[in-house]
Amino acid sequence: MVAPAMTFLAIFTFYPLANLVYLSFFRYNLISDKVFVGLTNYRNLLFVKKDFLQALENTVVYSFAVVFFTILLAILFALWLEKDSWFNRFIQKSMFTPYLIAMVSTAYIWSWIFDVNSGLLNAALALIDVSPLRWLNDSSLAIWCIVIVSVWKSLGYYLLIVLASLKSIPREIIEAAELDNTPWLRKFVRIILPMISPQIFFLLITITISSFRVFDSVQVMTNGGPGNATDVLVTYVHRYAFQMNMRVGYASAAGSVLLFILMVLTIFYFRFLGRKVHYQ
Amino acid sequence: MYSKHTGLDLRRGVTSGISFAFKLFMLVLFLFPFYWLIITSFKTYGESIVFPPTLIPRNFTLAAFEQVFSRLNLWNYLKNSIIVTLSVIIIQTLVGVPAAYALARYSFRGKGVMLALVMAAFMVPTQITFITVYIMMSKLRWLNTLLPQIVPFGASAYGIFLLRQAFMQVPADIIEAARLDNASELKIITRIMLPAARSSLMTVSLFSFVGSWNSYFWPLVMSNSEKVRPLTLAIERLKDQDAGINWPVIMAGNMIMVLPVLVIFLLLSNKIISAVGYRGIK
Amino acid sequence: MAKIEFQNIHKSFGTTKVIENLNLTLEDGKFNVLVGPSGCGKTTLLRIIAGIGPATSGRILLDGVDISNVPPGQRGVAMVFQSYAIYPMMTVRQNIEFGLKNNRVPKAERERRISEVSQIVGLEPYLGRKPSQLSGGQRQRVALARAMVKEPTVFLMDEPLSNLDAKLRAAMRSELVQLHKQLQTTFVYVTHDQVEAMAMGDCIILMDQGRIMQQSDPETMYRDPDNIFTAQFIGTPPTNILGLESESFKLGFRPEAISLSVNPAPDKAFTHRVSILTREMLGAETLYKLRLRNGQEVMARLTDSSLMVGDELYLQVDEENLYFFDSEGNRVRKTLSQQYGAMLERVTRSHES
Repeated sequence: MVAPAMTFLAIFTFYPLANLVYLSFFRYNLISDKVFVGLTNYRNLLFVKKDFLQALENTVVYSFAVVFFTILLAILFALWLEKDSWFNRFIQKSMFTPYLIAMVSTAYIWSWIFDVNSGLLNAALALIDVSPLRWLNDSSLAIWCIVIVSVWKSLGYYLLIVLASLKSIPREIIEAAELDNTPWLRKFVRIILPMISPQIFFLLITITISSFRVFDSVQVMTNGGPGNATDVLVTYVHRYAFQMNMRVGYASAAGSVLLFILMVLTIFYFRFLGRKVHYQ
Repeated sequence: MYSKHTGLDLRRGVTSGISFAFKLFMLVLFLFPFYWLIITSFKTYGESIVFPPTLIPRNFTLAAFEQVFSRLNLWNYLKNSIIVTLSVIIIQTLVGVPAAYALARYSFRGKGVMLALVMAAFMVPTQITFITVYIMMSKLRWLNTLLPQIVPFGASAYGIFLLRQAFMQVPADIIEAARLDNASELKIITRIMLPAARSSLMTVSLFSFVGSWNSYFWPLVMSNSEKVRPLTLAIERLKDQDAGINWPVIMAGNMIMVLPVLVIFLLLSNKIISAVGYRGIK
Repeated sequence: MAKIEFQNIHKSFGTTKVIENLNLTLEDGKFNVLVGPSGCGKTTLLRIIAGIGPATSGRILLDGVDISNVPPGQRGVAMVFQSYAIYPMMTVRQNIEFGLKNNRVPKAERERRISEVSQIVGLEPYLGRKPSQLSGGQRQRVALARAMVKEPTVFLMDEPLSNLDAKLRAAMRSELVQLHKQLQTTFVYVTHDQVEAMAMGDCIILMDQGRIMQQSDPETMYRDPDNIFTAQFIGTPPTNILGLESESFKLGFRPEAISLSVNPAPDKAFTHRVSILTREMLGAETLYKLRLRNGQEVMARLTDSSLMVGDELYLQVDEENLYFFDSEGNRVRKTLSQQYGAMLERVTRSHES
């Protein structure tokens, strides 16, 4: 009964992982034969060409910002919207809606809002007499615009998870803290945060992993530009695999680096952060 | 003593007033882009670029939608999206339910390894596997069909994991009782397990629907021609045609894409919200 | 020193009214037990004292001072929860110390109190452990220590023994009574178990459906019930209540007040012919279920175990052991001599007819 599922996973998940690493040691363009080149692809990636490191840096900056703001805001909003009322539930629903919408649509809507000439944001800036910004066309602003869109899209989802974990804290524990005359901040830091840390920890992993695979929003909103200011790992791999003369071996090496980073992050989280997490 | 209380009440009043105002602001922040999407799609191109922007269309028009249909063979994209999404949900259910049942109810050699593999697969993004799968698909000469968008998603690690959790919560006594009543395994699954795991099954189907319907990266890589592309890729074609970007047309295209998801959400929002919350703390 | 007064307390959850216009005074230094069936409002009252579930309206006074609007942490009360509510991420010591730190108790004083308290409850060897490494009984002690260390004026306990096994529960019961003797502070103890209430309390407050049915010491509660509810809630098996043909009042007597004999004695107030339906030998005592000739059934608890199922006997109860209740279920006492006399007369005559 498990065989069909395992077959699918083996063919489409695990074999491709192994094959990706295998291909990264070859020069290969899908048409001519594979040529074993050892670590050449990795050397080019990390030491010869500058664009990969740029993409890596962009991805790290983007991911760090998304993880930080998403978790921070999800916790703050969860505390703020914790009380069960129809209005709070309505806000939660509204905030969750973008999560279900295609990233492509989200990206188009926000491109339109960010539009330099007739976009909403510049119109709003004009109202308060601020000169228009170039948003997605500004190489230092563009990545932050993409961060905003990502946080906007998925905040509602993570908010619901934090809310559910807040509700799973036994009521008596909070009441005991109240009887212990615990100030608000101390209650949050010493009681609430440790109690929800397993979920926060889980969010940390999932948001980081999903941030490292960012593609749709970048592809639609900036296509990696301006210049390569918003080039990220997946757009990089995709570009080299399918556009730049099908340099599949080289793209595989880049993909392997992404794989490596994700593995290290996962292990790192489980090993080091896991220790500080309170499990009941 | 009383003045102290009124002071406290006043402060509470101000705090809740500020809180309420901020909540309204949050609503605007999260709902306004949708409003903007909707009204832009009903504007003329001319009105979409006027300054300052109009919050209500002056000339309510369906011109943008007409353009979407005249420029593109939209039915074809729509048909592809529907076929891919439905196929994925059906295959995932057929493959995932028996697997989840076996992993939840039987003990057999290698079960621990299989569970670990399912968990690991859950962590592997398609953005890493696509190169190899693309090579496979091109060797199979499938890139001119919808198959590369369906077959690789035959097993959903996430779905198997969640269904297994749900199946494990069915008391063993009930299954024993069914066996004593001479029920076949198939009957146990369809008559006992699936009804018990109804809400998990719904969650899994919903998320595969959303994932498949919204998918952009995978079909972008796995399709050779417009004939086999889904809606998500159609919108880009609306963008490329003109020199200046015709936002009403693009928004109209997005409206068509977003609408089914929004309708489902409006119908099932309470269930979805509680399912997401449950999933988070499981 | 703390007397607790509830004045015109109302409490509702949503549209459900749990308590309506309740007035109650809990005396200083007593071991007060709030007892009653689940949903009677006893825990609600406790939470009102603690301030973690404030009343919808009404006032709560502590030594004459209105504390209705004082935050829970500043009322000088401590609570032991049914689930213990120990902070799972803190060690035993941190758990006990947490409230003291919040109240800015100096370090030397904290150390002194912690060692004193942990000695009393026997937690000294476990101060460095996490709650997950403790047994149920030890966790219970942590909860107790955490409450004691605050040196509260009022000790609140919400069914603190219900998660312990029977043996440990019996031991903790007497420990808590001793603790109360030692501390001399006001205890408010919530339980649904009448045996626990009788065993521990100086003052029992019996509640039902948000109302106080009787407030008295255990002895009075048992011997002199105010109403049918009290008579039946306290004691096992419950007091037998009989309706009499064509009478609106009811008659009650405890199973242990019954005597059974082949020949009726002439001086008993209540005599009735019965047959034995079932017999349960409990050791020192035997429980018999008896059927009266009019079909009503009563329980008897006797030291005599020689009677057998099917035996036909006379059931008799002395006048002092008979309770009369009016049609509302309230007790009619001898002091209301006219009514009482009439009822007694009718009962005494009833078996002759």
